[in-house]
Amino acid sequence: MGIKGVSLSLLCMSLLTATSGWAAEIHGRSSTQFESFINDMTGGQRQSELNEYLRFSITDIDKAGKFSLYGYGRAGQDFSNGEGLNGRLYYLYGDYRDLYNKVDFKIGRQFVNLAAGSAIIDGIQVDLKNVGPVAFSILGGRDVLFGLNGEIGPAGNTAMGAAAYLTGFKKTDAEVSWFRKYDRTDVSRDILGGSFKQQLLNCLNVYANGRYDLVSETFQEFQAGMKYFPTSGLIFTGEFFQSYPQFDTTSIYSVFAVDRYQEGVLRVDYNYNDKISFNAGLSHENFGEGANAFVWRVGTGLRIIEPLKFNFEFDDRNGYYGKTNGILADLTFDIDKKSQVSAGLDYDVYQRDAMTGDEIARRYWVAGKYKLAKNMAVSGRLEDDVNVTYTKNISGRFVFDYDF
Amino acid sequence: MLFICTLLLLSAMYVSQATAEKQPHKEYAELKLSECNDCHKGEGIALNHDSDWVRSHRSIAGKAGSNCSQCHTQSFCLDCHQGGGINADLSTANFGRDFVPKSHRSDFVQLHPIKALDNPQSCYHCHDQKFCTACHDRFPRGSFRIKSHLTNGTSQTFTWTSEHSSEARRNLQSCQTCHPDGEVCLRCHSSKAGARINPHPRNFQGGNISSRTNKTCRLCH
Repeated sequence: MGIKGVSLSLLCMSLLTATSGWAAEIHGRSSTQFESFINDMTGGQRQSELNEYLRFSITDIDKAGKFSLYGYGRAGQDFSNGEGLNGRLYYLYGDYRDLYNKVDFKIGRQFVNLAAGSAIIDGIQVDLKNVGPVAFSILGGRDVLFGLNGEIGPAGNTAMGAAAYLTGFKKTDAEVSWFRKYDRTDVSRDILGGSFKQQLLNCLNVYANGRYDLVSETFQEFQAGMKYFPTSGLIFTGEFFQSYPQFDTTSIYSVFAVDRYQEGVLRVDYNYNDKISFNAGLSHENFGEGANAFVWRVGTGLRIIEPLKFNFEFDDRNGYYGKTNGILADLTFDIDKKSQVSAGLDYDVYQRDAMTGDEIARRYWVAGKYKLAKNMAVSGRLEDDVNVTYTKNISGRFVFDYDF
Repeated sequence: MLFICTLLLLSAMYVSQATAEKQPHKEYAELKLSECNDCHKGEGIALNHDSDWVRSHRSIAGKAGSNCSQCHTQSFCLDCHQGGGINADLSTANFGRDFVPKSHRSDFVQLHPIKALDNPQSCYHCHDQKFCTACHDRFPRGSFRIKSHLTNGTSQTFTWTSEHSSEARRNLQSCQTCHPDGEVCLRCHSSKAGARINPHPRNFQGGNISSRTNKTCRLCH
């Protein structure tokens, strides 16, 4: 599939030369990226790769402007580690809208999303709208999974689903859906999903969503929460989440007893104009049979001096299975309208158990970007990872972006 | 009488709500977030795209009929969820050729066993279980620090019996990463051989599995 994906991407690129004969509009981005990194998967050898990303949209293909084509993929060549050519086709689909002002079609490889499940499929999605307060979606196709070096999973795996959702209600959202996956001819996942959101009193948002597993007859995931926003810059969040691990019916693990995971979250997020933001949160995690953990987080974003922006996050976890605490910090400076430099640090202290003691992992990075023209830019990033495995691990990328 | 009044009230509510449809967002895609939130607050609609957005966007984006596509292409979602990098900003890191979200920080290969437990299902929003196995298959089995897999003091026996059941129940998906076919579990948890220890939960609905596949039950029965 890696080679097929490359061929398809090249085919689409060839369409660009035909633009002068069409009324259609073609837009997109080409991003050429040179990357150098240590590949742990091939015994810690340095790998140098050239990757080409292409994303395009072709709109107004027909006179009525209802048909469009969208695509996004990546093709790459390894020059040093013997991994050769590889690629990913993320999506390539035709989109036809407003058939009789009621039906939208998407045909091809696409990302589909329902409350009951999401997937990348090679197939079709049909949406029926403008038929009252409820709209409908139905979708199905081959289930596409990406692994480390290409597509994985049998070619015969499929996914299908259907949804009904409220439309035309300004302050209420509701959706019920069903999602099923096939492992060749066996039904591997069978899920009902629901999502609900209601805005109240101009300052309150209550929401809930869940996935009900028809095989184990349990709520695989359930989330309920409330957001209180007294001003346009302040949000208080309280949320409850619980889940059970889920397995394909074709896996022996689907028959095992498992504990329920539960999590409670309290957060506050505050933005003061565009210059200062602050957030803090506390999570309590329950893994079952008395195992618990607490995670608390604080963060801030500062842009007090206009061309300079500083972001900082700290989190601390204590409890079951190990403790960690760490920071993410980065500083960005806009030199002028065309150029930007940035630098950052990830610093994490972690302990797997009492016998291992503390380990420290650090990542230092610097980066820069320069706009050559309105539609062209170059950027680069260099980083050094220092951790239990490496005292020095330099990696980097150089990117050329062209918008059309 | 009460039923008729309720019906009339619901119809009136529907008419008033239906005439106040959701605002299309396409023309506002380039606005500053503070301006978006000013408008949202004025209309009584919850603020979003805040600092909690990466964690909380699922309740809005994860459903049919969401309006995300009015401002974002599918590449925006897939860059984060599937490792693409066409729109990556300078602060986005790589793991090999793939781009990774901020949650995958510093030495995530070492950190992820702990981080993955903060909402264990979050990994599966981006990764299939086969992704985990592809990596874990490459490393020697004895190199992981899992309590039930450690030797008991200086003896050769493992702290298996006392620890593995609760560890497995709390995080069975991690067992699957190294033992994708569960062959080691079947040594004790099969009805055909071994210790014949029942692995099923209470209220186990075996018929729901056997009606969908005839492979799984036959491994033990």
